[in-house]
Amino acid sequence: MKFSVIKQRAVWWSLSGILIIIGIVSMAISWQTLGSPLRPSLDFVGGTRLQLERDCTQAQNCAQPIQLSDVRQVVDAQGLSTSSIQIVGQNQQAISIRTKALNGEQRAQLQTALSQKLGAFDPKKTQIDTVGPTLGRELFSKGLLALVVSFIGIVIYLSVRFQSDYAIIAILALFHDVLITTGIFSILGLLQGVEVDSLFVVAILTITGFSVTDTVVIYDRIREILNQHPNDPITQVVDDAVNQTLTRSLNTTFTVLLTLFALFIFGGETLRYFALALIIGFTMGAYSSIFVASPLLALWRQHSGKSKQLESTESNVSG
Amino acid sequence: MQRQRSLLVLIIVLVIAAIAAIATISVPLGLDLRGGSQLTIQVKTTPEIKQITERELEAVKRVIEGRINGLGVSEPIIQTVGTDKILVQLPGVNDPQQAERVLGGTAQLEFRQQKPKTEAQLFALHATQIQLKAKQEQLRKAQDTAALAKTQEEIQKNNQAINELFESTNPPLTGKYLKDAYGEPEQANNWSVAISFNEKGGELFAQITKNLAGTGRSIGIFLDNALISSPTVGPQFATAGITGGQAVIQGRFTPQEANDLAVQLRGGALPVPVEIGEIRTVGATLGKDSIQSSIYAGIGGLALVLVFMVVYYRLPGVVADIALIIYALLTYATFALLGVTLTLPGIAGFILSIGMAVDANVLIFERTREELRSGKTLYRSVEAGFYRAWSSILDSHVTTLISCLALFWLGTGLVKGFALTLALGLGVNLFTAITCSRTLLLLTLGFPALRKPELFCPNLPISNSPKAEVAK
Repeated sequence: MKFSVIKQRAVWWSLSGILIIIGIVSMAISWQTLGSPLRPSLDFVGGTRLQLERDCTQAQNCAQPIQLSDVRQVVDAQGLSTSSIQIVGQNQQAISIRTKALNGEQRAQLQTALSQKLGAFDPKKTQIDTVGPTLGRELFSKGLLALVVSFIGIVIYLSVRFQSDYAIIAILALFHDVLITTGIFSILGLLQGVEVDSLFVVAILTITGFSVTDTVVIYDRIREILNQHPNDPITQVVDDAVNQTLTRSLNTTFTVLLTLFALFIFGGETLRYFALALIIGFTMGAYSSIFVASPLLALWRQHSGKSKQLESTESNVSG
Repeated sequence: MQRQRSLLVLIIVLVIAAIAAIATISVPLGLDLRGGSQLTIQVKTTPEIKQITERELEAVKRVIEGRINGLGVSEPIIQTVGTDKILVQLPGVNDPQQAERVLGGTAQLEFRQQKPKTEAQLFALHATQIQLKAKQEQLRKAQDTAALAKTQEEIQKNNQAINELFESTNPPLTGKYLKDAYGEPEQANNWSVAISFNEKGGELFAQITKNLAGTGRSIGIFLDNALISSPTVGPQFATAGITGGQAVIQGRFTPQEANDLAVQLRGGALPVPVEIGEIRTVGATLGKDSIQSSIYAGIGGLALVLVFMVVYYRLPGVVADIALIIYALLTYATFALLGVTLTLPGIAGFILSIGMAVDANVLIFERTREELRSGKTLYRSVEAGFYRAWSSILDSHVTTLISCLALFWLGTGLVKGFALTLALGLGVNLFTAITCSRTLLLLTLGFPALRKPELFCPNLPISNSPKAEVAK
């Protein structure tokens, strides 16, 4: 059994195109409504997030689930009506509030007001995150810079190890993976209120490394076959390389996905969306190295190879 | 074979050493796992101080240390980060409000003069203070929170009493008049601290020293209202005071003591405001829950990968599994030996690296199967599998490492933990996935019972026999 990525490329490329366009549309809508292509967490824009859980060891404290309207009333009374509030936890005994950046006193005031209305909270289950706006901007720009630096580093490494057209196409495939992952998170941000934080930047960078790895393995094989059979047509070489490395690509992605699903299911709140971003990105990475990077390389080589052949025949004629 | 044997010995020694390291050294947990508060303090520039240098940052850090010690928290960690930030970690603190209150704002340094007839009182209070501080240090080590809070209260009361023995000059001689302070040796182990004032400060200092010279009363140097030094002034300065804005505090200091006092003085003289840029607080119970869930995730992920490898790759799969377990042991031991603090993203990096670690083995075994299918002998196929997969393995490790470097270089605390664990994992993996699994695989080939191609690759064509090798 052998399948040809070159022949069916129209199908794969339109699939990728559609996914990317949906993502871009979502980012555009998000830009209109939220002011940024993805829903930023307080890591990047600053703010305070308070997560409080009722102390259920006290009698009658947890008898009723927490009512959103009660929390909203308290928060509004503190002059923080723009805050977002969520009731969380299995028995709806915990709340998560995100406000503008509060200082210690403001926060203490809010906490006191909340516990007067809702009952005592367990301090050992409290989580407080405050990021000042200046530091948020810095985290954001450093994250972007890390991405750019890593892209450049990979292009340089690949150009040294392979020819530069390999490197450029590998990076194109990489953009494809990153675009689709951010697109899906943009949609999640609009529909589910999923926010992107520092860990999302980490996920994107990890996807970068992994996606290129997948492409490199196929390229290694293309180079090997080309060395053995320099006269085979490039389309056939690429098809052979993809087929020979297919099991490896699938199995590697599968083992990584196994650990990621474990993280997604058991890893807890903090790591859930981090694992999800990696699951999407790694799947896309395997997909793009087979269905985008390989046919693209074949086409590019075919095109540039043809023009070379033409030149040589012409010179033969004249000579 | 000799080489295989010595490699096998090396692997066994490493595994035993790793187990010993894991058993004896505990990997410190980050605040997101053990519970506590982490504050990032940003040092702001002002029109006078346009750039924060390393020396200034160090001075501000010393001031912050002084304030944190005043909180009575056990095991606080204070470190400088980058060019203008100071990271304060307070384990076990669920409510950072108190810390926030004392940490914000500019340092207050002031030179005050002792009120008359309080010498004996100061002497007694000073002695109590030293006792209390020693007791506090002990309690901090013992992590006795309740007693620590009580001692802290006593220290504050004592400190208040000391404060009342001193009065400000008019206008007060504050840190803004102090130009510099540094420790300098008088004799080998007898250091002093030189201080210099600006012009106005020099005049005020001359005044204060003239008042106090020869009386036995001291100058009280207060940083954030805590007495850090109380030198007296010799009688020879009674007529004019210490003039010229230069003075030396003598006290038979050790080099460390002298430098510490100088750094405190410099920190107090800096008019730079500090601002709390970030606070992350995680309750202890939440941290415990996170540890719990990441252990589940880690074991779950590892088990799934182990099962998959055996089911799919059979005998080599078993070898890869052993290599993977060795990988997990060695990597964790590396964390312990290097003192890597384990955070939640760090654990995620570790778990992820388990999934990625088998990639090299997958590449090798796929290659081995191909060689087998093309009719090579088992031994040659295994060798070729390792040899030919090497270039792909190297490339894939380097590209991921590039991303890790970018993350580590530009990332902040949490992100750094992830990059570090992933990068360390990649390094260990180069050893385990190649050297370990190769040695183990070649070793299994030494047993005739295991030397069957079908244990390596199912559904091999029947034509595959050693004859094919001969025909070549």
